[in-house]
Amino acid sequence: MSAFHTLKVGFHRLGSPPNFYRLCTRLAPWFWAGFVITAAIGLYQALYVVPPDYQQSDSYRILFIHVPSAWQALAGYAIMAVLAAIALIWRIRTTEILAMACAPVGAAFTLICLATGAIWGKPMWGTWWVWDARLTSMLVLLFIYLGIMGLYAAFEDRRKGARVACILVLVGVVNIPIIQFSVEWWTTLHQGSTINLFGESTMDPSMMPPLIWMTIAVKLMFTAVMIQRASLDLIDQDRRKRWVEDVIGEQNA
Amino acid sequence: MIPEFEYAAYVWSSYAIFAVVIAWQAAVPFLRRRRLMAELREERAFRSGSYGGQS
Amino acid sequence: MFGPLWALLSQDLRLAIRHGGESLMPLMFLFSVIILVPLGVGPGPNLLSAIAPGMIWVAALLSSLLALERLFRPDFEDGSLEQWWLGHLPVYGLVVVRLFSHWLITGLPIILFAPIAAEMLFLHPDALGTLMISLMLGTPILSLVGGLAAALTLSTNRGSVLLSILVFPLIVPVLVFATGAVSVAAEGISPQTHLGLLAAMLVLALTLVPLAVASALRLNIE
Repeated sequence: MSAFHTLKVGFHRLGSPPNFYRLCTRLAPWFWAGFVITAAIGLYQALYVVPPDYQQSDSYRILFIHVPSAWQALAGYAIMAVLAAIALIWRIRTTEILAMACAPVGAAFTLICLATGAIWGKPMWGTWWVWDARLTSMLVLLFIYLGIMGLYAAFEDRRKGARVACILVLVGVVNIPIIQFSVEWWTTLHQGSTINLFGESTMDPSMMPPLIWMTIAVKLMFTAVMIQRASLDLIDQDRRKRWVEDVIGEQNA
Repeated sequence: MIPEFEYAAYVWSSYAIFAVVIAWQAAVPFLRRRRLMAELREERAFRSGSYGGQS
Repeated sequence: MFGPLWALLSQDLRLAIRHGGESLMPLMFLFSVIILVPLGVGPGPNLLSAIAPGMIWVAALLSSLLALERLFRPDFEDGSLEQWWLGHLPVYGLVVVRLFSHWLITGLPIILFAPIAAEMLFLHPDALGTLMISLMLGTPILSLVGGLAAALTLSTNRGSVLLSILVFPLIVPVLVFATGAVSVAAEGISPQTHLGLLAAMLVLALTLVPLAVASALRLNIE
């Protein structure tokens, strides 16, 4: 009972801007440190430890960047959607800001996924772009992210803009599974055989560790940038307020 | 140090893209924070430090 | 209760007829497509019949997009949009009526002239019925999601570019299944699954989108 109570109080405390800001600035360096460590392990394993693939030789190493980015692009959207729902239902301002902070980072990962997918496609399929199911739905996801960012930026009243953009985020939650399903349908319709950028979907177990390390690394980095962006957005919006002056004062002292 | 890969250019350019985007996403909040703090410090100094004394 | 809804509908239609030129844009898009595409890719019947479903659907999409700017903005700017919440009518109903009038102006002309377009682009005769059904199911979805994008961007300044970016991901499934239905019908396979999914999307959109539109409009008015 008291654990739940502390959780509830903690959750409510996060709604207060100074607490939120303090928590974000305190946590961010830890997430960055975690990212550096896990990414170092993952990259080392991906580049030096894992042997070349039977079919794709060394170019499959791109997978260790491509796949975690794809997963994070989707996971980031899921996080953003949960935050958007909370923001719309309970009208918590810090949640609105946090939700909007997810979008640019998620878009960045979508970009990484698309770029690495294109680079991977060139030696494998001979062309810079392949209309396979994953890349096409990633492209659409990129537009969804850009739409959310553009919508948020188009409003002068930041709070109103965040709420409107949160509606769009929730619309996207319904839309993204439909898009993925329809794009997969579309590739099977038009090409007969499914082109899978993976090649064979069963991976050698020795290839799993770097993938797992990179996935964790990417999640840590996403969180770090998300909370940093959120805290800055909060300071920017609350310029004239007392708590911001106190924070500046603390920093000067 | 750098192992010899087939398709080396492709592999390294992918990893380079990853590094560049991560660095970019790290730089944006860092630079924004510096600019924001400078602006706020200046506003604060203007408000308190120089009542009518700014030339 | 239906009196005011009917009044809104008839007013929208009267305004559309008065802006006669703009209301003919859907047909202009369709004819541009029919004339320019063969000029661009050559008159070979095989190629034209293969791309005909996509081209007709692109015309439908463009015509729907074009009318979105004026969907809510005039009422927003002169303040009559706020009246929607002041009466006793559900805003859901008013939104549906407004989107219905949008469909009448942009979707219906495409549907009516689609047979001519199909004939000129050598669409396989078996696929014509599927084309008509896909248009009848799909163009309302276009109006619905387009209206949602228009409602979200209502009080922003950079309307049209943002509008197109917002509409595009929402349209992708509709386009995939609609053109897919016509393509398989042209090959003689039953398009039941495609059309069934399209109908499901229409039902989903019809129930959920007006709610989202209403809340987006409400937020923008404040």
